[in-house]
Amino acid sequence: MQPLTSKELEYLVDSISNEDLLIKQNAVMAASASNSALKQAGMQMINTHQQHAQMLLNAIAQHQQLAPTQPQSH
Amino acid sequence: MYQQQGQGHPLLSDEDLAYTVLSDLKRVVGEYATAATESSCQQVRQLFTNLLNSTLQMQGHLYKIMEQNNMYSAASPVLRQEIQKQLQQNQQTEQKTDQFLQQLGLGQSGFRNQQHMQQHMHQPQNQMPPQYQQQGNQQHMPGQNQPYM
Repeated sequence: MQPLTSKELEYLVDSISNEDLLIKQNAVMAASASNSALKQAGMQMINTHQQHAQMLLNAIAQHQQLAPTQPQSH
Repeated sequence: MYQQQGQGHPLLSDEDLAYTVLSDLKRVVGEYATAATESSCQQVRQLFTNLLNSTLQMQGHLYKIMEQNNMYSAASPVLRQEIQKQLQQNQQTEQKTDQFLQQLGLGQSGFRNQQHMQQHMHQPQNQMPPQYQQQGNQQHMPGQNQPYM
């Protein structure tokens, strides 16, 4: 495992925002769709997006210790 | 069939709700692909790759539900003569590329012979040229040892 680059951290953080938005959108679909297949898909996707968000958070946490505490010169 | 949830009127139709989720899934698929290509750490790249596949799967599932419920109409089928035209043009392009490779002494003749074409057409899940398939099966990751950034 290598220390995270600033770019990687930005992608991880942006992806968490995306997953978070999808959890909420699916919650709205699961709550207000009248079609039962859509409702069910919405509920399943809430779970999957929650797992995704957790995996992204774990990746950030796992890289915490590897990160330098001083700026590195290139 | 119009089940109210007991909290007033739905603000969006089923179609709009599903389309909103679908279009965001499509956007996120693109972002995960970009994130994977721009990752230096192998574990981070693998994470983005896994999330890409998982998101693609959800997008495909939701699309199928929408299609089955007439919420999404696929584009109309292309005419056979258009396929023929594109096939011929692109076969010529590949023949020229073969000639180019042969001029450089790098030619593997018959890259697009009829046999290969038919294999590809009957195996839609296996669309890589044969020389790449072995690597694909071994889960070889080109960026495993050296970062591509």
